[in-house]
Amino acid sequence: MGRHWYGVDWWFVVVSSVAVIGFMIVAIFPGLFAPYSPDALVGPRFLAPGQIQIASVLIVPQGSNIQQLKDLAMPESVGRAHIAVVQGQPTAGDVNAQAQSIDQQLQAGTSGLRLRPIIDRYASVQEAMQAVIDGTDDVAVIQSTDWTAIQSQYPTLVETGSITGEKIAGPFALGTNDIGQDLLSRLLWGTRIALIIGFSSALISLFVGVPLGLFAGFVGGTFDRLLSLLMDSLYAFPGLILAIAITAVLGPSILNIIVAISVLYIPTYYRIVRGQTLSVKEEVYIEAARSIGSKRSEILRRYVFPNVIPSVAIIFSVNVADAILTGAGLSFLGLGLPPTIADWGIDLARGQRFIQTAWWMITFPGLAILAVVLAFTLMGEGLTEIFNPKLRDR
Amino acid sequence: MQPIALIALIIGIPSALLLAYVFIRGTTGLRRYILTRIGLTIPMIFILGSLVFFIMRVLPGDPVSSALGPKGTPAMIENIRQQLGLNDPLIVQYGRFLGNMVTLRFGNSLVGGHRPIIDEMSERFPATLELIIPASILALLIGVFGGALSASKRKKAPDFMLRIYAVVIYSLPIFWFGLVLQLVFGVYLHWLPISGRIDPVIGTTLKTFTNIYSIDALLSGNWPALGSVLVHLILPTATLGLIQSGLFMRMTRINVIETMQEDFIRAARARGIRERVLTYGHALKNAMIPVITLIGLQVAILLAGAVLTETVFSWPGMGSYLVERISARDYNAVQSVITVFAMLVALISLAVDVIYSLVDPRVRY
Repeated sequence: MGRHWYGVDWWFVVVSSVAVIGFMIVAIFPGLFAPYSPDALVGPRFLAPGQIQIASVLIVPQGSNIQQLKDLAMPESVGRAHIAVVQGQPTAGDVNAQAQSIDQQLQAGTSGLRLRPIIDRYASVQEAMQAVIDGTDDVAVIQSTDWTAIQSQYPTLVETGSITGEKIAGPFALGTNDIGQDLLSRLLWGTRIALIIGFSSALISLFVGVPLGLFAGFVGGTFDRLLSLLMDSLYAFPGLILAIAITAVLGPSILNIIVAISVLYIPTYYRIVRGQTLSVKEEVYIEAARSIGSKRSEILRRYVFPNVIPSVAIIFSVNVADAILTGAGLSFLGLGLPPTIADWGIDLARGQRFIQTAWWMITFPGLAILAVVLAFTLMGEGLTEIFNPKLRDR
Repeated sequence: MQPIALIALIIGIPSALLLAYVFIRGTTGLRRYILTRIGLTIPMIFILGSLVFFIMRVLPGDPVSSALGPKGTPAMIENIRQQLGLNDPLIVQYGRFLGNMVTLRFGNSLVGGHRPIIDEMSERFPATLELIIPASILALLIGVFGGALSASKRKKAPDFMLRIYAVVIYSLPIFWFGLVLQLVFGVYLHWLPISGRIDPVIGTTLKTFTNIYSIDALLSGNWPALGSVLVHLILPTATLGLIQSGLFMRMTRINVIETMQEDFIRAARARGIRERVLTYGHALKNAMIPVITLIGLQVAILLAGAVLTETVFSWPGMGSYLVERISARDYNAVQSVITVFAMLVALISLAVDVIYSLVDPRVRY
């Protein structure tokens, strides 16, 4: 094996192990990495990755004491404030609505201040900015996305936030979904579900399949033949369809999805372990052990079991990958998981409905599944090449 | 004649002829092997059927009350239970279920127009065939030639790249792959349609005999329809076929590498036969034998993939039928579809094993 040490296959195993450990850390502590809660509605709907919410923001000259719209209020005798807006944008309407509500509050009070601004419409954002710099207008109200685009050209102006006083959402690294949840947070939390499903169902199949395979291979006879027939039938059946049937009957829950998937992969362990047990059973050292009077349980434990471990390790890593894929497939079909859970399959099913508008809702959950599954598959691929004696150079 | 019966005849008659030929001309050993294999298929269908029965009837959950929803009165529920025979003892239901499975009597749908399920399937099943057959051919072509190339360049750049391809394609969620193809070729480039089997306008001009649209269009000489069908086929076929190709490639690669180490290859090499002929002629031919077995095992993955592909592309086949009826809680249809899938798997693996025994003279049980 030493000759392979610097080969591609060891790199497969090393790289994928590092990736798997990384995914496990994310799965255990998703809260540390996720900026928001996966269920929180943190922004507007369909915000593309890296973009910010379109809101009307207040632009004032640097050092100005005006920080909000209501700072523009003044006694009627002094006059009216001038606000620059860009023609054809909804900002003018926003300013009017906001100013009116502030004005009503002021009238109810006793300060004697009023807010009845004069709105000057300009043809472009640049002209509106120039008007503020020249002092023609006191402030400007433009769209937040426009400001991020031209910000660097106007060092003497500052943005003081949305005129409604609400926080401007964004930017979100991976955008938001159709109800305004942060996609990145959902993906990070989805790692947990994916790995729980992958590992638990693979472990359950392992703990059922390996003993059955050992026993059937070692004992043989009618028991072996019947069990093999059952396992072969199960193995031949399309796994996803069986899982669909089971989850459709049992109803959606994580436990049910794990049960449904683990049933599918029992035959994989059974077949490999049984086959290896059959061939190991004929080895001379087993006969030697038997002739010195070892008990059958001891032979099974000390001589047969260690021989099947490498292949079980390979199946396990591929199995986790398969289970994650099947789990995602089930939840994509709307089966298996309650729809409120942060899960990649559910996110993809959601994204499919908005394929025409929101490419990011499809792209990123899929990439997340691919990354995790790839790590486990690559590990299996590397291990197969290393452990399979038939592929070794002669 | 029902389309499904027509298809059964088209597939059934050649298979029967082939079997008869093998039986008459074959050796005693071959004959015994085929008989044993057929004998094994019957318990397999029986076990799979029992599994379906177990899942659908014994697991908790009442299909009838969930099908009727909140507006179902106890009297209505009782009425339907009586109709479906759900009030009989379990063992009686089991016997009846197995009987219906053999005679393909699936009863009527629980929702919509309460049509016979066999009629609905005869519309859906050909669509699935039209999808999975070209997809399998695509997968085999890419897999076998890619695998052989990979093996012949072992530990060089092409091998490394093809192995990465195989691993990545194996790890791709098939439904996501379909969505990405839709996004790129449908939504952005507007090159290909992203759903359905045929353009709805052209579809009205197509006369259907088998419900396999491409064959129907060919038979009736309806070229615009044929074009539309083929264009609609590209993305679903590519999705299903490419995803399947990874496993074939892996299997072919491993088998060619193993075969290249055999003595007869060394002997051929000693005789001065070129390396290319060795790989693609001598080794590939022998390495294909286990790959044929893989086709049998792949059927399961193929059908599971078809369910997801059909759902993504709104392809009106058996898979999307299953998913639709699960959400409509049409328990009769769900049970029937799964039964048909089980029988399909058993029969295809029987066919593959028989072909295997013909191709490889070493197989004798």
